[in-house]
Formats: sequence, structure tokens, C-alpha cells
Amino acid sequence: MAKPIIDEDCCKGCGRCVAACPKGCLTLTDHFNKAGLKPVAYKGEGCTGCATCFYNCPEPYALKVER
Amino acid sequence: MAIIEQKGMYGEFPRCGKAHARTTHYCPGCGHGIINKLIAEACAEMGLQDSTIFVDPVGCGVFTYYYWDAAHVSAAHGRASAAATGVCRARPDAVTIAYQGDGDLGAIGFNNAFQAASRGEHFGCIFVNNSLYGMTGGQMAPTTLEGEKTTTTPFGRDPSLTGHPLHVCEVFNQLQAPTYIARVSVADTKRIYACKRAIRRVLEIQQKHQGYALLEILAPCPTNFRMDAMKAAKFCMEEMEREFPLGTFRDLENGVAGVAPTAHPESDVLAVKPVPQFPTCNDLFAVPDGIDAPSPENDPAVPERRFKFAGYGGQGILSLGICVAEAARLEKRHSLWFPSYGPEQRGGSANCSVVVSGTPIGSPAVDHPDVLVCMNQPSYERFAADVKPGGTIIVDESVPTDVPPPAGVTLRKVPAIRLAEEFGVPKAANTMMLAALRKYKVTGLDDASLETALVASFKKKPQLVEKNRELLRKAEAAFDA
Repeated sequence: MAKPIIDEDCCKGCGRCVAACPKGCLTLTDHFNKAGLKPVAYKGEGCTGCATCFYNCPEPYALKVER
Repeated sequence: MAIIEQKGMYGEFPRCGKAHARTTHYCPGCGHGIINKLIAEACAEMGLQDSTIFVDPVGCGVFTYYYWDAAHVSAAHGRASAAATGVCRARPDAVTIAYQGDGDLGAIGFNNAFQAASRGEHFGCIFVNNSLYGMTGGQMAPTTLEGEKTTTTPFGRDPSLTGHPLHVCEVFNQLQAPTYIARVSVADTKRIYACKRAIRRVLEIQQKHQGYALLEILAPCPTNFRMDAMKAAKFCMEEMEREFPLGTFRDLENGVAGVAPTAHPESDVLAVKPVPQFPTCNDLFAVPDGIDAPSPENDPAVPERRFKFAGYGGQGILSLGICVAEAARLEKRHSLWFPSYGPEQRGGSANCSVVVSGTPIGSPAVDHPDVLVCMNQPSYERFAADVKPGGTIIVDESVPTDVPPPAGVTLRKVPAIRLAEEFGVPKAANTMMLAALRKYKVTGLDDASLETALVASFKKKPQLVEKNRELLRKAEAAFDA
């Protein structure tokens, strides 16, 4: 099962991956990470491992994709 | 299971100084972050990490040296292309990449970048265009769109007042030499993948040493656009792309012609150019290497002695300094020679510093010389007051010395210029000065080694050797008289 692996504390909550995901399986959360930003989360299903989120993400280590 | 993750960057960025050592300093949604990731990944996947030298700009992109695991040189504002020219010439085997922004490349550094492109230097220039000065707070840049609001154009850029947006790719595309010019964007997935391919193309061209490549990347700056990340990306696609259309302007190696490259069939633009051999500093300053010059030996008993030689360009001041430095080298002393001159060739003031010591020398700069040799009035006025107590000033007799030297400094006036003229070799005034240095025993060096160094300095004009030896003797006889 492909899935994105998110490091919440590296995520700056810009939402680029949420908009880019072709399956719409990412969402911004409502809680704060250590940096005081609202990180992104995987909805739990739908990921095909295309890594579009990874390439849209401006942070090197906020997000990686397992497939 | 395969993991798709970041390659080519350090695992942590401790030097960045952020609370979290694995995040960048970029704002949320910054285009730089996406571009940094793509470049690092391409570099790693192409196996170029150990052979790539990045030249970092001034601007938000400056901190790429925290992230990319490769070699870095940091340049002054706008000078990345100039620095990259030096890097790629010094290390023709390496892949050199200049990373610049639009305030950096488009404004203060435009001519540096443009001339480097015109020369077809062997480096790739990645030009991040976000239409404003990001790091300094969102001021108008040359690339700011008409009507775009920035902190210095609060009512929108008015072309009648501040000109029209600068189209860097289009301007560079008028040049003959560049191999590759393209404009891409990182505003959405499709564009990011196109950008990834273009970055790989730039690296490939550098890997194959095929010449200059310019890649302009339109990037969102959500903070200074005063938008969220998605609106900023939309602004990139809708507003910026209208002004700056995407596309490959030329890719000569792949047959995408730029402006009339075929109009010059004899041109070697399409060929892989051999890297020229540049003269070394020793060649440029005719530093003699034909003489037996042993390596310096440490001798703490020999104190450091600092010299300043100053005069007009053309009086042989720099050569005189080389002579003394070389003589010291012959005596196994540590010695440094450091020239300083203005933009003029002949007629302008020039000076050089020489440091001779029995122990390794810290700095080549001489603020307070033990010995000052002056061949003109401006030099005397400028440097006389700096001479150390107990030091010596040797000055040509033609120089007015109304201002006395500092207390404890010996002033010696010698007729160097007049004697040289009397002997029929007006250019040899510096040899007269060398004679004076020997006579007054101020160098701490042997007469013989000074003469050997003088002879060696004429290695390219052997016919002058005997003449100068003779002049040296005649000058000393004249001083004694």
C-alpha cells in the first residue's frame, strides 16, 4: 500500500501538496506542530504513490512517499 | 517498497540555526524550496555531487550552502556569474552552477551575467524570478510586472516612471554564445516536472562541458505577494507567465536554434570548446622562476621587515618590489609581494607591499612599513606618516618633502630619476632605487641576492641584464661621490 510519510514538525502547512494531490487524499489539520504551524495529514486512503506531493512540497524533509 | 525522498541534501541543516534542524529557512510555499529540492535531487541522481561547485547569490537563495551537499562559493550581490566565471576557469573539470535571483541577476548583476553568457562561459546559471526583491522585504525588481504592487511601488509599477519588466531570457537569446536558454516555472505539478527536466538538461550540458546554460525559473513568493501559497502559484501561472512566457528559447545541442546561430557557419558555437590555458599570476607579473629559489626556512632570529614601494605606474615600482621579495626568497626567507594600483596603466599611482620574515607571514598588507620607497609626491604624502619609528624613507630628490617625516624616521633623498636620465636609460630609475636600498642597507638582504633577483627579473629581456648590472654599479659610485 502506497502512502505519504509526513514529518509534522517539518511541515509548514502551505497546502501545495493538498492542492496538487490528484487523488485528494491529503488535508490540512487543525492542530499546531512545534513550529506553530498547522501541518498536513494523510486521510488514510487513496494514495497511489505518484509522489506529486513530494515534488510540490518546498520542504526537503516534510514529506516522503512509500510505494 | 520503494521510498521517494529527498536526495542530494545534508540530512540535517544545523548551520541554518533554526529550532528544527531539518527545515529550511524558506517561507511556507516558497518557490526556492521546490527548486532547491529539484537541483539537489538532479545533482545526486546524475552522480555530480562530488564534482559540482555551486556559486551562491545574495538574496533568499544565499543559504543554499546549508542544504546542498556539494561544494559552494558564496558571491557578493549580483556577482555570482562573475565568481562562477572564475570558478569554471579555475576548475574546468567541475560542474559549475550559479544560482541567482532576479534582484541579483536582473538588477545589480545583470552585466556580470550578460557578459558571462556572451563569453559562453562553461557554467550553468539558474535564475529564480519571483518578480521582486524577496529577502529585503519585497521591493520592486527589474522583473516586477506592470501594475504589480510592491513595497516600493505601492500603487503598482508604473512603466512611465520605473520602466517595463526586464525579459532576461529574451535579452540573453540575442547572444551568440549560450548553448541553452529556457524559462520554466514551479507553479504546479506539470510545470515542476518540466522544471526538473530542464534542471537536468542544464547539469547535463555542464557535465559534457558544452557551454553556457541559462535557466529562468518563475517562482512564487507568497510572503511578498501577500498571498497564500496557492494564490501565489496562481499569480505565477496567470500573471507572470503572461509577461514571461515559458519555453525553450534555444538548446543548440538538441537542435533548438536560438537567434540565427546558422548565420555564422564558421562559428564554433556548436562545437565543444577546449578550455583555454590562462596565464598564471607569475606569468602576468613576470615573476622569475628560472632562478634557483629554495623553499623558505624558519629562522625566528630574522625579524619581520615590511616594505612599501610607491610611485607612478610605469616607474617600475612593482618590479622593484618583486626584486626585493625575490632576493628574500633566494635567502630562504618567507616573502610576500602584494601589488595595489588604480585603473590607470601608466601615469596613475601604484604601490606594492613586500613583507620579508624568518617566520611564516600572516598578512601581506603593509600599513606601517619599516622601509618606504617613494618615486612621486602623491605617494610620499600618502604613506610617509605611516612609517614606523626607526624606519627609513627613500625618496626621489624630485619629490618635495615639505612635510617632514615622522619623528625617528630617516629620510634619504636620492637622485634616482635624474641619474637614470643621465645614464641614458630613464626607465631604469627603479634600478637606481635598488642601488639606494643596497647602499643604505635597509633591506637586511645580501647585495648579491638583490643583484641576482634584479638579473632574474629581466629573464624576458636578457639584452638588458648587463646594462642594468652596469647601471647598478654606476649608481652606487654616484651615491658614494
